[in-house]
Amino acid sequence: SAVQLYLGGEFETSAEVLKFGLVLFESGFSLTDDPIVELETANNHGGGEAVTALELLQREKECGSITTFSSQLDRALKGGLPVGKVTEICGAPGVGKTQLCLQLSVDVQVPLSFGGLEGQVIFMDTEGSFVLQRVGDVAAAVVRHFSLVRCHDYVELLAELHLLPDFLRDQPRVRLLVIDSVAFPFRQQLDDLSLRTRLLQGLAQQLVSIATRHNIAVVITNQMTTRLQDSQSHLVPALGEIWGHASTTRILLQWEGSRQVAAIVKSPCCMDTAVQYHITSEGFRDVNQPENSDQPEIPLTERRSL
Amino acid sequence: MTSLVWAGGFPCSKHKRCNGTERDARVMVWDQLPLPSRIRSALQRTHLKSVREVLSLPAVDVQRLTGLAQPEVHQLLTVAAAVCRRHAPLTVLQLQRGECRRCESGLRLSVSCPVLDGLLRGGLPVGGITELSGPSGAGKTQLALQISLSVQYPVEHGGLGAGALYICTEDSFPIRRLQQMISEQAILRSEVPPSVISGLHFSDHVYIEHAADLDSLQVCLSRRAPVLLAAGLVRLIVVDSVAALFRSEFQTEDWLERNKQLLTFSTMLHQLSQEFTTPVLCINQVMDVLKDDDSLGPLSSSVTPALGLAWANQVMMRLMMLRHQTTVSRGDQSSTLRRLEVVFAPHLARSKRDVGVWREGVRGVPVLE
Repeated sequence: SAVQLYLGGEFETSAEVLKFGLVLFESGFSLTDDPIVELETANNHGGGEAVTALELLQREKECGSITTFSSQLDRALKGGLPVGKVTEICGAPGVGKTQLCLQLSVDVQVPLSFGGLEGQVIFMDTEGSFVLQRVGDVAAAVVRHFSLVRCHDYVELLAELHLLPDFLRDQPRVRLLVIDSVAFPFRQQLDDLSLRTRLLQGLAQQLVSIATRHNIAVVITNQMTTRLQDSQSHLVPALGEIWGHASTTRILLQWEGSRQVAAIVKSPCCMDTAVQYHITSEGFRDVNQPENSDQPEIPLTERRSL
Repeated sequence: MTSLVWAGGFPCSKHKRCNGTERDARVMVWDQLPLPSRIRSALQRTHLKSVREVLSLPAVDVQRLTGLAQPEVHQLLTVAAAVCRRHAPLTVLQLQRGECRRCESGLRLSVSCPVLDGLLRGGLPVGGITELSGPSGAGKTQLALQISLSVQYPVEHGGLGAGALYICTEDSFPIRRLQQMISEQAILRSEVPPSVISGLHFSDHVYIEHAADLDSLQVCLSRRAPVLLAAGLVRLIVVDSVAALFRSEFQTEDWLERNKQLLTFSTMLHQLSQEFTTPVLCINQVMDVLKDDDSLGPLSSSVTPALGLAWANQVMMRLMMLRHQTTVSRGDQSSTLRRLEVVFAPHLARSKRDVGVWREGVRGVPVLE
């Protein structure tokens, strides 16, 4: 069965497993027919036995991350995008922020039996860059548990976030919240910078609280802006210094010549790692560089212990 | 409960109208909300006049202003939020089934050329700003004129069944070229029944405005455009070009002020686009790429669109038209070859098509399989 293959290390990378899993998922193949899987999931869920608070805390800590289809990015993030934390993706227009968000929205839905979180996703679009045509390319199989909220300005965004906890209570399987982008509505019409700062601070607290209380990976995208320093212009994430504290992890997407690079610029566990990526018709992907691999792919069985 | 017409409104803060008879959901009478009387009276003691005002403040400020306890503030914010929200979250499955009329529907405005429509996967999206940049003489105005005609076709022929608002900021409007293109529409759109084409009075539905400076541009967008859009006369806005106004009116030291004005301008365009599901096409100039500045994209050409990052952040779809040295011929006509390139768009790969500019309009050169 597929699970035996998985456990037996037949797959070399998590991306292969996920791809295989998604193919099966798309063709409607249900692994719960497999008795081995049923046993495994029953064990994993502890089938009714009592759990201490410490165990619960530990489980939450191990709750893991959203593995992407980009093994290199997962490795750079030490496993994937962390659940229960706020991650910011910033970059210039057109570099791939929305594409990565769409990719994560697919990745979070991968079934548990394939190492996924089998989670649902809420996508808050403030720019209008959520285009159904593109979603069809990337996420055709997983549209049932993929919710869209469209916010036309910062007031609507704040309103939706006020209503989110009630929504999440009714939909406990949500594991990913995307806000694409936070910068766009907050940079329009808000001339009062001190009000903006206070609203953003409140927003940051709300996002952290949603992430921890509901065990959700919160992903926000941010624009870049130019800052003049010593008569030199630098590209920095928008929304100011204080906003920089809102996220636990910050991923910067940028162009280097003709290459696209994702750099982890802020993280509790890994710094200064940069991986190359490209956007294909299927989504956000590694760039395969067989001639350049000084870092061979870590086999799946080893990865599990990270 | 008053239904929300639009939550934004136009940023004409100098002219805030507080007309009591206007059914403006931004100004809310607190009696209409399902709130306990204690909260309502607390609100009436404050200067807060609308749900938007309440939501625009940090919760602590609302608490301080109303003197209410935390749970009551939470209740107030929840009720206010529910009013502000246009509709509940929808699943992508529901969207694909077309269960929400106001949402992104996948509607596109054809550009009157099957090759270019193929490049764009249908045409211009009806929400958001599309930018078309390129050096002078590349053919940007040609394409914009063509789209101003293509919008007038009925939806089943790729149009939106309404006219175009064409705002000129630099030269005078090329009226002769437009007339020529109108007379050749039957050739360009040979797949459309001639009766349909002759029934469309193209020149009657291109509304031409000249805006020589920022103030007149603001007046045009805040006064003229909403009237035309609300009446259904227009479903395309073209600004030809954005660069002209923002480059000439500011010295290089004023770039902060320039960016602020750019933001005000683009906010107006976005609001119009969203409220009236109208495509907005902005023509932009280009400038030479600085050697070590690869921040905005791969170095595929030696030029980059003007107005920098502040403007680029407002653009949803960026197209570039470049001239080439070669020529291409068709019948008795020949044209300098151009290339229309998708620089970025949320739903499109970076790709390009060769293009010729002919008597009848702009046509992509079919890709040979």
